[in-house]
Amino acid sequence: MNQSAATYLGNIKDTVQSFWHGMSITLSYLLRRPTTIQYPDRTPLPVRDTLPPRYRGFLEVDADICTGCQACERACPIGCIQINLEKDAANPKQRVVTQFDIDEAKCMFCGLCVEPCPTGAIQHTREFEASQRSVRNLTFRWADPLKPFPVYKVAKGAEYFPRAPLGSLVRAKIEARRWDAPPPEFLPPEAPKPPAAKAPPPAAPVAKPSAAAAPAAPAPKPAAAAPVPEAKPAELLKAAAETAAPAAAPAAPAAPSPAPAAEAPVPTTPEVKP
Amino acid sequence: MEKLIMRRMHQGGTEEMILNFGPQHPSTHGVINFLVETDGEVLRRAVPDVGYLHRSIEKIAESVGYPGFMPYTDRIDYVAAMFANEGWAVAVEKLLKIEVPKRAQYLRAVSCELCRIASHLVSVGTMATDIGATTPLVHGIRERESINDLIEALCGARLTYNYHRIGGVAFDLPAGWPAKVKVFLDHFDKLLGEWDRLISFNEIYVKRLAGVAVITGEQARNYGLVGPNLRGSGVDWDCRRDAPYGAYPELQFEVPVGKGFRGTVGDAFDRYYVRVLEMRESARIVRQALAWLEQNEGEIMAKVPRKVKPEAGEVLSRVESARGEMGYYVVSDGTEKPWRVHVRTGSFLAMGIIEDLSPGLMVADLVALIASLDVVAPEIDR
Ligand code: SF4
Ligand code: SF4
Repeated sequence: MNQSAATYLGNIKDTVQSFWHGMSITLSYLLRRPTTIQYPDRTPLPVRDTLPPRYRGFLEVDADICTGCQACERACPIGCIQINLEKDAANPKQRVVTQFDIDEAKCMFCGLCVEPCPTGAIQHTREFEASQRSVRNLTFRWADPLKPFPVYKVAKGAEYFPRAPLGSLVRAKIEARRWDAPPPEFLPPEAPKPPAAKAPPPAAPVAKPSAAAAPAAPAPKPAAAAPVPEAKPAELLKAAAETAAPAAAPAAPAAPSPAPAAEAPVPTTPEVKP
Repeated sequence: MEKLIMRRMHQGGTEEMILNFGPQHPSTHGVINFLVETDGEVLRRAVPDVGYLHRSIEKIAESVGYPGFMPYTDRIDYVAAMFANEGWAVAVEKLLKIEVPKRAQYLRAVSCELCRIASHLVSVGTMATDIGATTPLVHGIRERESINDLIEALCGARLTYNYHRIGGVAFDLPAGWPAKVKVFLDHFDKLLGEWDRLISFNEIYVKRLAGVAVITGEQARNYGLVGPNLRGSGVDWDCRRDAPYGAYPELQFEVPVGKGFRGTVGDAFDRYYVRVLEMRESARIVRQALAWLEQNEGEIMAKVPRKVKPEAGEVLSRVESARGEMGYYVVSDGTEKPWRVHVRTGSFLAMGIIEDLSPGLMVADLVALIASLDVVAPEIDR
C-alpha cells in the first residue's frame, strides 16, 4: 500500500516535472526570433535572389552558343527536350535549329541535361515562379521555327563561351507571358507563305474526323478550341503543311491517317489526346 | 482481404468490427491501408494492405537506362533520397567495376549522413505527433529545413537531390559550405539535449511507448527487419560497419543499439530512441568527413564511359539507408538498359511484421507501432 502510494505520487511528480520541462522549452521559443518567413509578399528580397547559385529551377538555353549537338536531348530521361535540326535553305553547309522546345511542365529538374552540354548553353536558373493556367504554356520554345538559329561553332581550344546573364532570357520569356494566356499562344504565327494559303480548306475536314476518331474526347476539344480562334488556324495550317505529302488525307477519313496529322505540329503538346 | 470480410460476415453475431484504417489517415505516413479487426479498443489483428503508391519505378529503370534512372531513385524514398541515389550508384559501379575516387566517397558520406539526420528528424517528429504531442514535429521540421538549405546549396534541390552519379558525385563542396555545416551541427548538438527534455523523456510519452509492441531480437531477424527497427530490438548490425562501403571504414562512429532504455528491449521506445542516438552519431560522421574533405583534394568523378553499357551480369548493392539496409539488385544483359532492377527497402520489410504483432494491441498502440517502425509509403510500394 505504502509503496503503491509512493509510486503513484512519484508518477505525478515525474509527469509534472516533464510537463514543466516541455513547457519551458516551448515558452522559450516565444522569446526567440521566429524562423517562419512569410512568402511571397513579405520577403525582403525576391526569393529567387536568396537561392543558392546551384539551385535547379527553370532551364534556360542561350541560342547564341548552342552547338546543336543534342546531347541534352539524349541525356533527358523523360524526353522533355525536343530539338530539330535542318539544313539552312540559303546556305546548305550551315545547319540550323528549327525547334528547341523544353516542356518545363514535364521536367523534373534533375540536371542531367546540363552536364553533357559542351558550351554551357543549357543551364538551370533560379527562376521558379511561372504558374500558368494552361500547362501547355510551360513549354518554352528556344528556337523560332520561322527564324531558325544557326548552330554555334566551337573554336578550337575554346574555354570560354559568351553567355547571356544566367536567368535573363528565361525571365524575359516568363514576363512576356500572362499567367492566364490562352493555351497555344506560343505556337508560331501564321506563315505568310503563299502555298500555305490554300492549305486550310483541306485541313478543316482533317481535324473533324480525327475528333470523331477519338471519341474519348469529343467534347473537350471543341470547347478548348472555341476561346482561341486566332491560334487554331495556325496549328491546322501547320498540320496541313506537314501532311502535304499524303495530300489525299481529307478523302481518306480512316483513323490512322488523320490522327498523326493532328498530332504532328507539336510533338511535345499532343492536343487531340484527352 | 475479401475472404477476411466474408468470413466475418458469415460468422455473424459477433461484436467485432472490421474497420478501414487509412488509406488517408494522418498517422499512416502516406497512403497505406490497414484492415483492422477490433473488439472494442483491442485489436484482433491489423492487416496491412500495401500498393496504393505503386509507381512501378523498377519497371521504369528498364526503359530509361543506367544514368537516367538516377533521378527516379529520388522518388523511391522522398524523405531520404540521398541513400537511394547512393544505392543505385554503388550497384552500377559494381557492374562497371569502377573505383570511386576517395573525395567522392567522403562527399557521399557527408551528404548521406546529413540526409539521415533530416530523415530521422521527420521520423521522430511524426512519431511524437502520432502519439499526440504535436509540438516536436514543428521543431523537427524546422531543423530539417536548415539541413535542406545546406543540401540545396550543395546540389540544388531540397527534396529530390539527384546528387550522386555513377562513378562519383555531381558537385564538389560550394565555397564556405563546411563552415555553415559546422555552425548547424553545433546548434544541432545543443538541440538534441533540448529534444530529450522536450519529448524523449517526457513521462507521458515514455509511458505511451515503453513496453509497447515489443519485437524480440529473434523475431526481428526472422522477419528481416533492417536498420533502426532491427537495432532497436538489440541486434547489433549496421551495414556501414559490418558490410562496409564508401568512406565508412575510415570513419569512427558508434552503432546505437536498443537496450531497453525505458522498458523492454525492442519496444517502441527503443526504436524511437535508437533514432535519436543515431542522429548524434551522424553528426559525428559529418564532422569527421568534413575535416577530411577540407584537408584533401581530389577528383569527384571516376572515368565513366560516355555510354554506360555494363557487361552482362548481376549485382547486389547494399547501403544503410535511414530506414535500414537498402538493396539494389540489378541484372544487366549487356545493353544500355538494365534488364531487371529490384529495390529492396526497409519499410516494406517492416510492414510484414505488423500483422503478427498487432493481436492484443490497443488501437492507439497500433499507431505507436506504425510510427515506431518509421514506414514511408512510397518506399513500401516503389
Ligand atoms: S532537368 Fe532533367 S528532366 Fe528536365 S530537361 Fe533536363 S534532363 Fe530532362
Ligand atoms: S544546349 Fe548544349 S547540349 Fe543541348 S544541343 Fe545545345 S550545345 Fe548541345
